[in-house]
Amino acid sequence: MSATKAARVGEDVWKTRIDKVNAELVTLTYGSIVAQLCRDFEGDYLEVNKQLEKMGYNIGLRLIEDFLAKTNMGKCANFRETAETIAKVGFKVFLNITPTVANWTTDNKQFSLIFEENPLADFVELPDDGRAQNELWYSNMLCGVLRGTLEMVQMQVDAHFASDILRGNEVTEMRVTLVRIIDDELPPGED
Amino acid sequence: MSFYFAIVGTKDNPIYEAEFGTSKQGGDGVARFREEQRSMNQFIVHSSLDIVEEVQWATPTMYMKCVDKFNNLQVSCFLTAGNIKFLLLHDQKADDAIRQFFTDVYDLYTKTLMNPFYEVDMRITSGVFDGKVKQAAKKYL
Amino acid sequence: MVILSLLILNKAGGLIFQRDFNEGLKKLSSNDYLVLAGTFHGVHAITSRISPVRNSGGGLEVLESDRFRMQCFQTLTGTKFLIFAEPNQPNIDVVVKRVYELYADYVMKNPFYQIEMPIRCEAFERNLVAYIKPK
Repeated sequence: MSATKAARVGEDVWKTRIDKVNAELVTLTYGSIVAQLCRDFEGDYLEVNKQLEKMGYNIGLRLIEDFLAKTNMGKCANFRETAETIAKVGFKVFLNITPTVANWTTDNKQFSLIFEENPLADFVELPDDGRAQNELWYSNMLCGVLRGTLEMVQMQVDAHFASDILRGNEVTEMRVTLVRIIDDELPPGED
Repeated sequence: MSFYFAIVGTKDNPIYEAEFGTSKQGGDGVARFREEQRSMNQFIVHSSLDIVEEVQWATPTMYMKCVDKFNNLQVSCFLTAGNIKFLLLHDQKADDAIRQFFTDVYDLYTKTLMNPFYEVDMRITSGVFDGKVKQAAKKYL
Repeated sequence: MVILSLLILNKAGGLIFQRDFNEGLKKLSSNDYLVLAGTFHGVHAITSRISPVRNSGGGLEVLESDRFRMQCFQTLTGTKFLIFAEPNQPNIDVVVKRVYELYADYVMKNPFYQIEMPIRCEAFERNLVAYIKPK
């Protein structure tokens, strides 16, 4: 479906079928998760990134059913449609933001999501111990969420942040790559 | 007219301090304390903490105007709901302007509290906060 | 609205939920239900391969006899919802969508529920019964 149609579906579902919650509650809850992880791992920010991604993955596995139930979406014809659906419907329904899809590679297997606003990172300033600015990806849970949801619809992807406003870059950009389509493997003895 | 501003935490620990001069009526915004005066500023402000603690139970408002005097200097105080004290050392009366300044700084302080990496009573080292406080000072003082 | 029973199958074809809503039904043993689920999963897989309709993408959707009508809804994640109803029951689609929503809410959002395992969520059953038999 085209970008405008996806945007319309996203807006529609957001207005009618979603319960709303206070945004600052989400920001503070996510912030305390990250802060506690940083304390628990004593500044090993690479490990914190991994844990955030794992948590996001588990969220994604479950989130996809909610997404499909609320939006009644059918299968996407190709990876480009998947990208538009994620950006205009998925993020709209759960975070009320619409990142832009950009920077497609020529084989249509990689794209970027550019976030103009990130409600998870409102009011956040990374600690200036010299390493957080270079090692911590604050919103890494979102990468895990994408990996989990797409795995449940038979796509194996790799998602990671390429830049983050919290680190001083100009935009927050997430790079998503399609690794392979997971075909249903028939149980042994049935072919 | 010069000002010395300090934020003191719940354990009487200093969290932030800044000096500015007035930007009104031809002032250039630079504090003009005499050298020996300067080292006294911190002491004066911190000694007024005792008085603040006494007065805080009597007043229902957050802005307690002038709580202490020392020679020709006055100390004004603003007490936040979390028992954080904003103290301003100044030599002339300017209640309204000081109140507006304190309200702006309170807004900035709550935004700092929203940062998950900032704990209460931690020193505020953010350059952004510093810049915005100085801006507020320029606006009101 | 007369729904006779509901079965939910996981991605591998295992039965994770089964519930009868009508007392007149003959009870099968739990093993029989497992066999029924597995058989259906296999049939569904085969029919999706031999479908005469090009690009239909799915397998068996509706099975009708003069005693009952069975409808199968397969989600994009591979979970199958089987609804058994009276033969002239209209609007089973609506029922299936609502059951899917209840599943997404009370089963998936329960952090203690392990995915692909049998569903033992009391809230899901409560809301399901309230929706299907609102008496």
